[in-house]
Amino acid sequence: MEIRSKEIEILKLLYKIEEGRPSELSSTGAVKEEAVMRIAFSLEEKDLAEVEKNIETIYSLGEEGKILLKKGFPEDRIIELVSEDVKSIRELSKNLPKDILEIGLGWIKRKDLGYIENGKIKLTDKGDEWLQRDRIDYRILELLEDTDMGKEEILERVGCDAEILDELKQRDQAIKEEEETSYRIEITERGKEVIEEGIDEENKIRDLTSEDIRSERWKKKSFMEYDVTKPVSEKFPGKKHPYQHLMDEMRRVFRDMGFKEIKGDTIESGFWNFDALFQPQDHPAREMQDTLYLNKPEVLELPEEELVERVKKMHKEGGNINSEGWGGEWNKELAKMAVLRTHTTATTIRYLWKNPNPPVKVFSIDRAYRRETVDATHLPQFYQLDGVVMDKDLSFKNLLGFLAEFYSRMGFEDIRFRPGYFPYTEPSVEPEVYIEDLNEWIELGGAGVFRKEVTEPLGIDYPVLAWGLGIGRLAMIKLGLNDLRKLYESDIDWLRRSPSCL
Amino acid sequence: MDVEELEEMVGCNYEHIIEEIPMLGAEVEKVYGKTVEVEFFPNRPDLFSIEGTARAMRKFMGVETGISNYEVNKSNFKLHVDESVLDVRPYVHGAVVKDLKLDKSTIKSLMDLQEALHWGIGRDRSKVSIGIHDISSVNFPIDYRAVEPSSVSFVPLGRKEKMNLSEIAEEHDKGREYAGIVKGHKRWPIISDYNGEILSFPPVINGVQTTVTEDTEDVFIDVTGMDEREVKKALNIIVTALSERGGRIYEIEMKDAYDKHTPELTPDKKKISVDDVRNLIGVSASFNEIESSLERMGYGVQIENRSINVEIPPYRVDIIHDWDIIEDVAIGYGYEKIEPEISDTSGIGAAHSIESKGSILREIMIGMGFQEVMTLTLTNKKSEYEVVGRKEKDSIEIKNPITEEHTIMRTSLLPSLMKILEMNRHRDLPQQIFEYGETFQASSNYEKSEHQTDKKIDECYKLAATSIKPDANFSEVKSTIQAVMRETGTEYNIERSSDRIFIEGRRANVVSNDSNNKIAVFGEINPEVLTNFNLSHPAFAFEIQVDALRI
Repeated sequence: MEIRSKEIEILKLLYKIEEGRPSELSSTGAVKEEAVMRIAFSLEEKDLAEVEKNIETIYSLGEEGKILLKKGFPEDRIIELVSEDVKSIRELSKNLPKDILEIGLGWIKRKDLGYIENGKIKLTDKGDEWLQRDRIDYRILELLEDTDMGKEEILERVGCDAEILDELKQRDQAIKEEEETSYRIEITERGKEVIEEGIDEENKIRDLTSEDIRSERWKKKSFMEYDVTKPVSEKFPGKKHPYQHLMDEMRRVFRDMGFKEIKGDTIESGFWNFDALFQPQDHPAREMQDTLYLNKPEVLELPEEELVERVKKMHKEGGNINSEGWGGEWNKELAKMAVLRTHTTATTIRYLWKNPNPPVKVFSIDRAYRRETVDATHLPQFYQLDGVVMDKDLSFKNLLGFLAEFYSRMGFEDIRFRPGYFPYTEPSVEPEVYIEDLNEWIELGGAGVFRKEVTEPLGIDYPVLAWGLGIGRLAMIKLGLNDLRKLYESDIDWLRRSPSCL
Repeated sequence: MDVEELEEMVGCNYEHIIEEIPMLGAEVEKVYGKTVEVEFFPNRPDLFSIEGTARAMRKFMGVETGISNYEVNKSNFKLHVDESVLDVRPYVHGAVVKDLKLDKSTIKSLMDLQEALHWGIGRDRSKVSIGIHDISSVNFPIDYRAVEPSSVSFVPLGRKEKMNLSEIAEEHDKGREYAGIVKGHKRWPIISDYNGEILSFPPVINGVQTTVTEDTEDVFIDVTGMDEREVKKALNIIVTALSERGGRIYEIEMKDAYDKHTPELTPDKKKISVDDVRNLIGVSASFNEIESSLERMGYGVQIENRSINVEIPPYRVDIIHDWDIIEDVAIGYGYEKIEPEISDTSGIGAAHSIESKGSILREIMIGMGFQEVMTLTLTNKKSEYEVVGRKEKDSIEIKNPITEEHTIMRTSLLPSLMKILEMNRHRDLPQQIFEYGETFQASSNYEKSEHQTDKKIDECYKLAATSIKPDANFSEVKSTIQAVMRETGTEYNIERSSDRIFIEGRRANVVSNDSNNKIAVFGEINPEVLTNFNLSHPAFAFEIQVDALRI
């Protein structure tokens, strides 16, 4: 058996210390830490050492954890108020944000700290003493605020059982759990023998060297045989992000169906994001609480005056198509406000304005933005798949046809169409697919025929079939995720282990 | 909604109703025990009550189809509208509904409907607000006028003592919430009766005296607002819902500032062409099918030659164009009966250049062993500049951020990539990641995208990559970025850089030979930056402006 000099270094070290971590084995400086594992696996194949893989659970403080540390646990905040005699739900809701109140009440119920009677909270005995308890949960958060820590160490330092860690994890990831892999390398009996006998130059080739080949030395020796069933270290190829993979798949499907991809600006005026789509100016979606507006730039230029006037007239009184419009006033200043587009329909409608002649078959997959708090199913930004078909003699039936074709090509067999509502389409439809594992119909977005109130001011004379599908939901289903945030947290381990085929 | 009540009002069993509701256009949110939560679309406020839902389902499920006719009884009730309201809240419509039998749950249902309309039609009361009063202590005629806020007082709901309008605006919860709607005016609207008793201070609050209770049999409803069409809609929805409960509707005559009788429950009529219906939906439905579809949706229908005369029920406030009715034909017909069929519209599939470039760049990066990641484009100044040691640039700023984390749009991909390394610091090394995505800057000199109407924003795609491992070094990052340049056929020079995310003397700019502009930057990450991200191994990174590459 041939043993390389680096391997001998490590083996000798192991003979002295019996076993060690990669960092310890590289401490002499003879071998770099990153090379230790390669050598260790090689020693293992020769049965000179054994590699033991340990997976330890490491906890770190999540965003929610920081908030809990600063503001306190929702149930504590409620109980504090209750003990100050603020007992009714109505009063509590004046003192606490709605979500905190809801979450806190949930925990109070779950921990049997109190119950609601006639709209007031009554504390149980346990609840009465709650604020005097040993605040293990806070202590854990405080520990993790300083540094990430392994599970065993936390349990030892705080003196609690693992349940409390699970509970903190359930609080919107107040603490995050990750697995850290570590290795220990131990010398085998055979390894010790080899050192004791002195490293022998057996007449067998272990690692084939270029010298062996050039000098034809290998002809005089035989090859040492490996145990081919032994485990080796893992290799991970570079890959596309699974979500990108899925979106590229959708792009391919639409291109196959004869659609051209288009792109537009992320930052749009209210005019293109809302007004051109006949979204009334006092529509709740346009309010500050739903749409992200900009300070810089605050306003954008409007398109040509004539178009703006036509859109204005349509909103106010319905233009020339026998529509009533929305009535009320229409304010140019609101139309100028810069927004992060709330849907990529802003992109398709702009395209139609520039290309008003049939046929048009285009789609767009891009980011859109809404003013949402981050949780497992909501993010302030998301990808949307928009598409339009404009042609003579198109009908609602054709719209259902395109949607059905797309979903079936994406592998969804059970599709149904439910009436929907969007201010800019009529008839409107919400396509749903049946997901066997969930035993549920999942809504995947909206579609419809653009209203005449939309197409007429833009000079479009033919029916336009349009859809705007939120594809985050679809990605969650396809990728088996239950938390949308995972797509953007890019856990390397998840990325490495999610297969390229979906 | 209470399940048993719904069953009784519709006349069908509950499972069947739940099954059909989505096909009318709604989402069944939750079913727990005897209650079901259904979310209807905002354009159908007539469905925001159990009465309205039951009415629609009765017709949709064929129990009783066609238009509901609501009789408005003549009366001597009068409401004087003073011209003083014309500036502040010009429109009022009213009605009296008699012979109601109310209990706790029906009162709650009525209040819920009122709130839903305040929101849905009233835009949080600014456009329309509704008051419902027990009529027993009210003496007609009623008076609607605007007065000096401190000149009149009454006992508002939720209080025991009299307050004047200014006090209500300052001290009462509802006042603080809604008085803003009239605050810009010198005089504020009130509704009072013949004896001067104040019933209401719209759109803020009612008086306590006319509170509706389980003993209430007859009610007076006032709807005030800024837009007469919306005022009329709200009143129609309320009175027709009460009529479904057996109430009898009586008219009120508005006098003085304008003269009219309300409520106006005569159905509007529209004429629709059969061809339009067939063409838009794409089915060759027969006259009979169209007729029965519309009747299932609660319309009155007469077919005449090739057109359909449609009577629109007075509670349907969403019909503004023929196509709204045609959609209802489709819903009544049943979406499930419409056979999906692709049109033969021609088109040539084509990728967008940004995506084709992305494919090329992904292939190069993946070939070099880099893993793609995706990050959010919203960030904040601290993460974007301070943590990576960079100077602030002109970024796009959000006016109404929802969290401190998301106040600007990213100008570079590198800070998010560093963040990803931080999140993965417990994972095995080496880690090599890249991202291809859009970045934003407020005004500079880049070429505009085809749609940009303005010179205020640069939206620009970048490719960035980083690698963390014990032997990450400058020569490797240089050979990596050189590979990207070579593969994309880009000619360039390399100069020293001053980008502080990198170590001084181990950082460089790539300058394009085409434009002489800086198109990329690369180097070894500054240990101070590594420490900010809790990283303890060396790392390198680069970032390239993709529009400057020759692909």
